[in-house]
Amino acid sequence: MKTSITNIHVFLLLILGFNISYGQGKRNNDANTHAWKYEIEGIGTGVQGSYQVKIWSIGSSQEAVIEQAKKNAVHAIIFKGFPDNNRVKGQKPLATNPNLEQEQLAFFDEFFLNGGKYLKFVSLLANGSILPEDRIKLGKSEYKIGVIVSVNSAELRRDLENAGIIKGLTTGF
Amino acid sequence: MTKLHCLAIILMMPFLSIGQAKKPTLMVVPSDLWCKEYGYLTEFNNQGTKVLIPDYKKALQEDANLILVISKINELMADRGFPLKNLESILKSLENQSAEDALLMNNEGAEINENPIDKLKKVAKADIIIQMTYTIQSIGPKNTVTFNLQGIDSYTNKQIAGSSGTGAPSFTAEIPVLLAEAVVANIDLYNVQLQNHFDDMFENGREVILRVLTWNNWEHNLESEDFGGDMLSNIIENWVHENTVKNRFSTLDATENMMVFEQVRIPLFNEKGQATDTRRWAFNLKKYLMDKFQIESKLMMKGLGQAQLILGDK
Repeated sequence: MKTSITNIHVFLLLILGFNISYGQGKRNNDANTHAWKYEIEGIGTGVQGSYQVKIWSIGSSQEAVIEQAKKNAVHAIIFKGFPDNNRVKGQKPLATNPNLEQEQLAFFDEFFLNGGKYLKFVSLLANGSILPEDRIKLGKSEYKIGVIVSVNSAELRRDLENAGIIKGLTTGF
Repeated sequence: MTKLHCLAIILMMPFLSIGQAKKPTLMVVPSDLWCKEYGYLTEFNNQGTKVLIPDYKKALQEDANLILVISKINELMADRGFPLKNLESILKSLENQSAEDALLMNNEGAEINENPIDKLKKVAKADIIIQMTYTIQSIGPKNTVTFNLQGIDSYTNKQIAGSSGTGAPSFTAEIPVLLAEAVVANIDLYNVQLQNHFDDMFENGREVILRVLTWNNWEHNLESEDFGGDMLSNIIENWVHENTVKNRFSTLDATENMMVFEQVRIPLFNEKGQATDTRRWAFNLKKYLMDKFQIESKLMMKGLGQAQLILGDK
């Protein structure tokens, strides 16, 4: 009886430990996003109303980085934009106000929740497959990975305009 | 109840429009350079001087790529809530209008009044002209498109938005595909600058030009001190100062016969909260001079953003 209780305790502790480290990993990834710890480069014009970009993110596993890349891509399109890359035209961020993220903190916290609304505007290209040269090992369990995604900027803009977060071209007319 | 609601809505309609600024009109026009490059310039004899002017009608009838580019820009702008004026439709409508005006007669055989100035003013107009240029470079089987969009404010002739660039060379894609890609790649950047222009307009007012001239048979001039002891030019300058947003304007030129005010920032709304424009704003100056000093004047518009007030007669 005593042995079985101890086993259960050990098992529960293991699960708890895994959950804590998993949660911490996600929080770290989100902190990286908010601290602009990602890089973005345009790779193609894409179909009308969307941008094809490569997002370089840092994380402890490939799966975590791929998921975070989607969040980073939407974050970048809203707040950062991306520069010209050879013949691929760069774009300005959707938010013209540089303090928008802080001013609308509650909205963006909810928007960027894991599994949140941001997922509606981003999709992985090439099924999320990563080229060997786009996977760089930085430390013992830290990777920098370049993931190619497509962001539906037209829908994203419309959504933010409808929510009153950014101004539309017709605002005031 | 429903009838009452309908009646209330109908009665409210004039007030609902208050608080909304006049939405600027936009139109895409091929640049003179494009017209020259593709052979759509036509020679015009202007009193002995040969002048080359763009033949938009011919270009629109013959160049499928031009139609494609214009229609793509229209499509993308309509998606942003800014449907554009269509150059082709405007040209057709102007032609029809001229033909109808020429045939119009009343019961006594009188024709429509039209002086040479009226004829000259019958051109396609928009608040913002999107001037478009593209060039296609072909090296062997490789095609590249260089694209340039310039937003010109018709009020001031200033470029208020722009985006340009050369796309990636392609061996396989057809020219129309490359052109459509170029429009898609450039339009968002263009719109960011357009948005900045609108933001500036809402904050600092619309930028216009005001010219004050005098008829040569008028007994006064702008240096006359017969109007309350102050020089007329000072009186006008003070009025402009008081009626501009943040008192923003600059006096470009002032002589005894004329004054030119540039960078005049007029409010988008009048004191009643109704949307206003250059002509209405300048009309207030005309009214002020008439009511206070009994000065007759003629108000004329030159383009959309240039008001011309000629003092001394109607």
